[in-house]
Amino acid sequence: MQPAALENLITALRVLPGVGPKSAARMAYHLLQRDRRGAEALAGALNHALTHLHHCRLCNNFSEAEVCEVCASPNRDKRQLAVVEMPADFNMMEATQSYGGLYFVLMGRLSPLDGMGPREIHLDRLISRALDGVVEEVVLATNFTPEGEATAHTIGELLKARGLKVSRLARGVPVGGELEYVDSGTLAQAVRDRRTV
Amino acid sequence: MSADARVNNEPGFVLHTYPFKETSVVAEVFTRDHGRVALIARGARRPTSTLRGLMQPFTPLLLSWFGKSELRTLHAAEWQGGLLAPQGRALMCGFYLNELLLRLLARGDAHETLYDRYVATLEQLAGEAGRSDYERATYLERILRRFEKNLLSEIGYGATFDVDADSGAPVQAQVRYVFQPERGALQASGQPGCPVSGQTLIDLATDRFERPATLVEAKALMRTLINHTLGAKPLYTRQLLRELTELTQ
Ligand SMILES: [Zn+2]
Repeated sequence: MQPAALENLITALRVLPGVGPKSAARMAYHLLQRDRRGAEALAGALNHALTHLHHCRLCNNFSEAEVCEVCASPNRDKRQLAVVEMPADFNMMEATQSYGGLYFVLMGRLSPLDGMGPREIHLDRLISRALDGVVEEVVLATNFTPEGEATAHTIGELLKARGLKVSRLARGVPVGGELEYVDSGTLAQAVRDRRTV
Repeated sequence: MSADARVNNEPGFVLHTYPFKETSVVAEVFTRDHGRVALIARGARRPTSTLRGLMQPFTPLLLSWFGKSELRTLHAAEWQGGLLAPQGRALMCGFYLNELLLRLLARGDAHETLYDRYVATLEQLAGEAGRSDYERATYLERILRRFEKNLLSEIGYGATFDVDADSGAPVQAQVRYVFQPERGALQASGQPGCPVSGQTLIDLATDRFERPATLVEAKALMRTLINHTLGAKPLYTRQLLRELTELTQ
């Protein structure tokens, strides 16, 4: 029989994705025995994040302020709005340094069979955000999975009907890709999406 | 391991996946000779996994797995080629087909005919491009009604549409009927059931969906039959389409 405090910690750690009882126990022992400082930092950071982080009023990404730094920046092109699924996708887009507009982070995707519908990805908020009168073009940067495509299609239809210009990220053979080594699905799509030069 | 526990290069499609442990997924697949099977794809969520892009719905695959338990282990998946994924509205229809198969097929029952029908239906869905909005809508509706009818009859809920369940006589085109899932077509005289015209019943029996009124009534009738078969839990894809329609207005 373990002390209740230890049991509680192990149970609490199991909320993490992919963490079962064994990994949770391992993590708990590690934090308590090997790295009490780290454990304190973790507890503090978790608490701080929970009280100070919320969703940016404009882009829905995590932010400490009501409006995040990106949305508040004067150097951004406010006529472009890129729609991404997750904060990680936002980070990737930023890392390319090829896009200077603003964002909307869905925090998910339409996934009919998981019960993820328009409400779960805040489509009503996206629509009113895109119709602020300043946005001219919405760039659909959701994943190229069936769920991401369904999401892009749905948002595209809703916004086109409201008079906005809508574009979708192009896809195809990767930079530096040799046809011989590209997977056949990608190549087939590249043939379908070929463009006139 | 016995010989029948190992399956090689079986044609199949992923219907749906969900995360499993830290880096894996469980894929519910529909295969030609083994029906619906649940496969663990180990490591499929690792960034470098070749399975990552493959274990997606609407991708024709050759699947190899082993094991005998409820959850088999996938050991190879290969892109089979030849079929492009449906897009736009047709893609939504594809999710609907997948949800129907997930909800209505029991694991491990082979349905070769239905599988071939599913592949043909996906091909038709992918081939809807270049039509006008109205043409596309009715084209997609016809595809869905045919699939629903086939699915129901394949899993043993096939209905006889063109025979009057009371008299045993053929249904007459000009007469109004109500359709009861447990009994069939009855001449309408105030009893419960899905109201439907004789012409629609004849069209359903003969797989003809050209008449606009047939499409409308067939949709309601198929919905009644599918709901009857599914039980209480509603279909997610239907609910999603309803919510989207609300946003459009
Ligand atoms: Zn923001």
